[in-house]
Amino acid sequence: MEDVFCLRVLLLALFVSLVAGPVQGIRFVLDRKECFSHHVEYEHDTVDVSFVVIKADNPWSFNRLGVDLTVEAPNGRMMYQGHQKEEDKFEFDGPIRGYYRFCFSNKSPMHETIDFDVHVGHIVKKEELARPEDFDPLMHRLQIIEEALYSVRFEQHWLQAQTDHQAIMNQSMSKRVIYKALLESVALVACSFLQVYLLQRLFERRLGKGSRV
Amino acid sequence: MEEVGGGKGRGGTAMKSMMGVSGAAWSSSPRVLYSFLVTLLLVAGRARMVDALRFEVPAASTKCLAEDIQPNVLVLGDYSVVSAGDASHRITVKVTSPYGQQLYFQDSVQSGQFGFTTKEGGSYMACFWMQNAPPSLTISVDLDWKTGAAAKDWDDIAKKDKLEGMELELRKLEEQVEAIHAEMLYLRDREKEMRDLNETTNARVAWFSIISLLICLSVAGWQLWHLKSFFERKKLL
Repeated sequence: MEDVFCLRVLLLALFVSLVAGPVQGIRFVLDRKECFSHHVEYEHDTVDVSFVVIKADNPWSFNRLGVDLTVEAPNGRMMYQGHQKEEDKFEFDGPIRGYYRFCFSNKSPMHETIDFDVHVGHIVKKEELARPEDFDPLMHRLQIIEEALYSVRFEQHWLQAQTDHQAIMNQSMSKRVIYKALLESVALVACSFLQVYLLQRLFERRLGKGSRV
Repeated sequence: MEEVGGGKGRGGTAMKSMMGVSGAAWSSSPRVLYSFLVTLLLVAGRARMVDALRFEVPAASTKCLAEDIQPNVLVLGDYSVVSAGDASHRITVKVTSPYGQQLYFQDSVQSGQFGFTTKEGGSYMACFWMQNAPPSLTISVDLDWKTGAAAKDWDDIAKKDKLEGMELELRKLEEQVEAIHAEMLYLRDREKEMRDLNETTNARVAWFSIISLLICLSVAGWQLWHLKSFFERKKLL
């Protein structure tokens, strides 16, 4: 009886070890084109993907930042195509198992720092087990909870990347306000000096000619 | 490659075949099955890096991947060169802290593992490049970067605290929830910082506009006074 219990415990531990993997979020600098691959272990696994453009090399760029992202399945089918997006968060059902390819391409001349996150979730279903009687509803529920928690971490990571982007933008806006004010004052003062000087010169010339006459 | 976070690896197909085998072996010897399962559990932890991200490293350039990590977080990284046929290529790895301090360096290796606990929060970067490689070569590298709860050695913890099965999984979930909570608090702090910055910017915009207007008016006043005195000198007024 004890043996059977130990066996069940081990089976269940192995069971739950097959659930979703940890969230894999990275940041990299995109030059022209960059490709990543991620393995999807089971068919019809949900793949969550998110990316956020954090900043560009040159903070004074006036064009909006945007990158293209294409997701290609192992059989060549395009799962997602995004054009000139600053951020996006989506999910798709991986129809087959294998390596899925995520390619970023950058059309603007600036290097952009991108935060990229992929998460593949899988819950072992009753049909997948060779012995359906090993299916434990409690462990199944635990798997679902674990998958939900990984989902929350995924969303949090995306939120954090967005917050970083906003923080950088706000800081640059604050600096720009100061520069603008200084520049404006200097331009005003310089302009007025120029005006006075030109008017003086005009009248002196006129008066000079007039007095000669 | 050492076993990392035992039990978190994937032995998908192995699991299914094990289930088939156990059906036959069930009746014969539970002990044999027990040891088989233990081995399998260990093997599952040692499985290939299926959670890894695969990227390409061209010959002449450096590929750097970074992650923003909070202080006092355990970080574990597994990397390996994807073997293409017979050729075995080697890469150089360097991991740096946000302040530029080198945390890990390995020259010309095919695979390896690094681990550290973050002291300060910031962007931790892992850079890969090839030394002495032909210019047209591009190799693929697998990198599995685990932080926080996923990086812990659960086997070790299970043995030390004598946890089993359900309790171990619940402990893992508890760590996850704590990590989520910590991140929420961090996000809240960031949001407060940004709010303060925005209020400062708002005040700055208002003040600088008023100052600009005052400068404009005073400069206009000075112009009027200067020109008036100029014309009076020239006896035009």
